[in-house]
Formats: sequence, C-alpha cells, structure tokens
Amino acid sequence: MLKRVTKYGAGVLLALLIAAQFVQPDRANPPTDPSASFAAVAKPPKAVCEVVARACGDCHSNQTVWPWYSRVAPVSWLVASDVKEGRSKLNFSQWNIYGSEMTQIKLGEICREAKRGEMPPWYYIPIHRGAKLSSWDVAALCSPTGMEPR
Amino acid sequence: MRKTQCRIGMALACLLVLGACSREPSASANIDPARLAVFAPLVATTAPGDRSLNKDAIALGRMLYYDPRLSKSQKISCNTCHTLTEYGVDHQATSSGHNGQKGDRNSPTVYNAAVHFVQFWDGRAPDVEEQAKGPVLNPVEMAMPSEKQVIAVLKSMPEYVAAFKKAFPDQKDPVTYDNMGKAIGAFERKLTTPARWDQFLKGDQNALTTAEKAGFNEFTNAGCPTCHAGGLLGGNMFQKAGVAKPWWDTTDSGRYKVTKNETDKFVFKVPSLRNIEKTAPYFHDGKTATLREAIAKMGEYQVGRTLTDAQIQSIQIWMASLTGEIPADYIREPVLPKSTSRTPKPSEAD
Repeated sequence: MLKRVTKYGAGVLLALLIAAQFVQPDRANPPTDPSASFAAVAKPPKAVCEVVARACGDCHSNQTVWPWYSRVAPVSWLVASDVKEGRSKLNFSQWNIYGSEMTQIKLGEICREAKRGEMPPWYYIPIHRGAKLSSWDVAALCSPTGMEPR
Repeated sequence: MRKTQCRIGMALACLLVLGACSREPSASANIDPARLAVFAPLVATTAPGDRSLNKDAIALGRMLYYDPRLSKSQKISCNTCHTLTEYGVDHQATSSGHNGQKGDRNSPTVYNAAVHFVQFWDGRAPDVEEQAKGPVLNPVEMAMPSEKQVIAVLKSMPEYVAAFKKAFPDQKDPVTYDNMGKAIGAFERKLTTPARWDQFLKGDQNALTTAEKAGFNEFTNAGCPTCHAGGLLGGNMFQKAGVAKPWWDTTDSGRYKVTKNETDKFVFKVPSLRNIEKTAPYFHDGKTATLREAIAKMGEYQVGRTLTDAQIQSIQIWMASLTGEIPADYIREPVLPKSTSRTPKPSEAD
C-alpha cells in the first residue's frame, strides 16, 4: 500500500514539475542606454565598476547573466523574482534616474550593506563564488561615497 | 469535568487573542536608527550660482506670483493653480487654464519645490526659475502669446519697472522675461515647510507619537524609502510608474515626451511626501482622490505588495508628521502695481 502511495506521489510530483516548465518567467534583459549607466553617469574608479559588475550586476542591472538553472522551474521563478526586485531597488544600468542627493543615499546604502555582509545575499555566493566581497572590494565600494557607513 | 471545561475555555480564549493578534501584525514603535540613515531634515534653500535671494527680488517675485495680468485673460496667476493658502495646490485632478482648458497633469505643490532636483513631473526644467517661465506662455495655462507681450504688460506699470530695478540693480534694462522667472524663483525658494518630522530627525524623540513611529516602521517595511528618501522623502529621482505591475493608465508617457528615450517611457519624477496629506488628489494624472487610495496603489504598483487596511492607516498616521506650517506672513498677498492706460487689455480669445 505504502509503495503504491509513494509511486503515485512521485508520479504526481514529476507531472507537476514537467507542467511547471511551461510557466516560464520573463527573463528578457530590458534595453540599455550605455550613457545612463553607473559607469557613465557617476564615473567611479575602475575598481568600483569591476566589483559592481562581478558581485551586483546580475540582480541590479539590465545586463543579467541568466544561469542554466534560471530556466528550470521552480528555481526560475525565484531567480526572476529576485532580479525584478533587485532592479526595482537599485539599477546600475539606469543611474541617470538619480539626482545628486539620491545618488549619495544609494552609494551610502551600497557601502553599508557591503560592510555588514548583507549584500550579495548569502544564498547567492555559493553558486557565484566570484561575487564574494573581499575587504578590498568593500573598500572600493565605499570609496565613492566619501563616508563611513553608520 | 468543570475543571476540564474551564481549561478548554481558557485555551480557546488564548487562541482567540493570538488569532486576533496574528491577523494584523502591527509594526513596532521603536525605530531602528539605521532606518533613518537615508533621511535628512529639510534644508533652507539658497540661490544657485550667481542668483540673488535679496529681499527686493523676493518682494518682486511675490507680486508676480499673485498677478493675474501675467495671463492672457488677466484672470489666472501662479496662485490660481498653486494656491499658497492650500499647501500650494488647487485640489483639482488637472488645473483649469485659459478659457477653462484642462492641463494634462496634476499641478504639484510649490512648497519645498525649490529643493527638488528638477521641476515638472517630467523634469523638463532644471530649477524653479526656469519652471516659472513655462506656464505663462503655455497656451493651455496662462496663454500669453509671447515673452514680448509679458514684458509689455510689466513695462506698462512704473511700479513694476521700479521693482525690477531694485531687485536687479546691476542691470541696465532689468525688466526681462528671464528676470521675471528669477524673481518668482527667489520668492519660491523660501516656500519651505519644516515639520515635526524634522524635529524628530534632529533628535527630539517626543516630536512623533507612538502611532506615528509605528507608521514610519510600516513605511520602511513596505520598501517605500527605495524612492521616498532624503530631505523631501522624494523629489530627488525619477521612477517608472508601474515598477511592480503595469500602471493602470498609460496614456501619459511621462519623461519619454522630453527625452524620446524608450527607457524613459512612463517615467516621472518621484513626488515629495512633505505635506502629502494636504495635497490631494495624487499622482501625475491627479486621478487618485484620497491618500489612503494612493498608499494602496503605491503598494500594489510600485513595490508589489498588497498592504492591509491597518498598514495603510498606520503609514497615513505617520505622514501627518510631514505636514509643516504654512508661512502665513511670508505668503501674504501684496498690493499689486496699478494698471495704466498702456497696460494691454485682457483677451478671452483662444
């Protein structure tokens, strides 16, 4: 009896997984205007651009590199949701939307979150080893802010 | 048996209490100082560059602000749509201009406007001095046919000529359209409304009530400071209307009209939250009548959250602390220069 239930359960699960593959989230990278990017507008040091591209770019820019597992549901839904939320909070591809005060606020937040180890998120690092921030990276991210995080 | 019934009764009562609590979790009234890092008290504005904020320029700006003779019909002044006694708005979805024509966007408040990083909903003017020159010549608003005609009106009144000379003493012929904008801008730069929120940010813990502190926590929990931060809680960045979910009305393409960049479609300047409870209706189209509705829509369309009634109410309570006092003396309507026989007559023609 138990064997039968397990067998049916596994069958249902497999069917659901297969069906889930037909519900794919939007993974399109929005159009990008290079003159609106963080690099073009804020003109930060090269080291900062390098760290941003390596550790932040997947969720906080329009130049997301979508990994293979972002095509497999249900992980695809989680990844797409993270990217959508990340872009809405801070988008290095649309740095021209910020005035000078908001620029300072965003740079301050980047520095604070990097210092506290809140970004990149813990679950992102094991699968993106290059995203782990060294103390040099944190120092670079804090350099354009001209402030110590509170 | 009785003991058992009593225990069951008590257990049920506990469950009911717990249930009631868990249905609408309310935010704590203790504010984590880290949450305040992205906010700042309102600053006193200064004149940018070589511009002067002398009292004569301000006095001239005040007269120009209230003067309907800067409109073709001589019935509409800046104050008509940006009514200073009404927190700088006219409470219309979109204002009525020349011959009752309707504008296509909501008239934003002039209070604290000088602190905004750009002017108009689409940011097409860099500062209040430039902004002030727009509506006077807009055919839908004050509808003056040309700068020349505006100057003719001003020069027809010796009191204005004298006031311009006083405000711009170094200039040979100071009655110019640019100087009109500068004088109105000078007046507007002092239209600031510090509020209890500023006292709180400066360290007065009693400036906010417990309910307002809890409301602030709801505001930050919902993710609103992503766009509403800084000294004005807005007014320092552009954002797309419909970040989390497409905006319900896409007839206005926003900043795209100015830049023609695809990425600027439906992008608008983020409005400031200062005096927000006094400046209904809301958003660029003015189609949202109440603050309650506006907060709910922001949750749904911008941050992708369905806020509960309790959360909305709590945020609304905190927003009351952003309401400043109208500077009654500063905005007192001045005596305007008398028209002369040379002053052009009003026209109702389109």
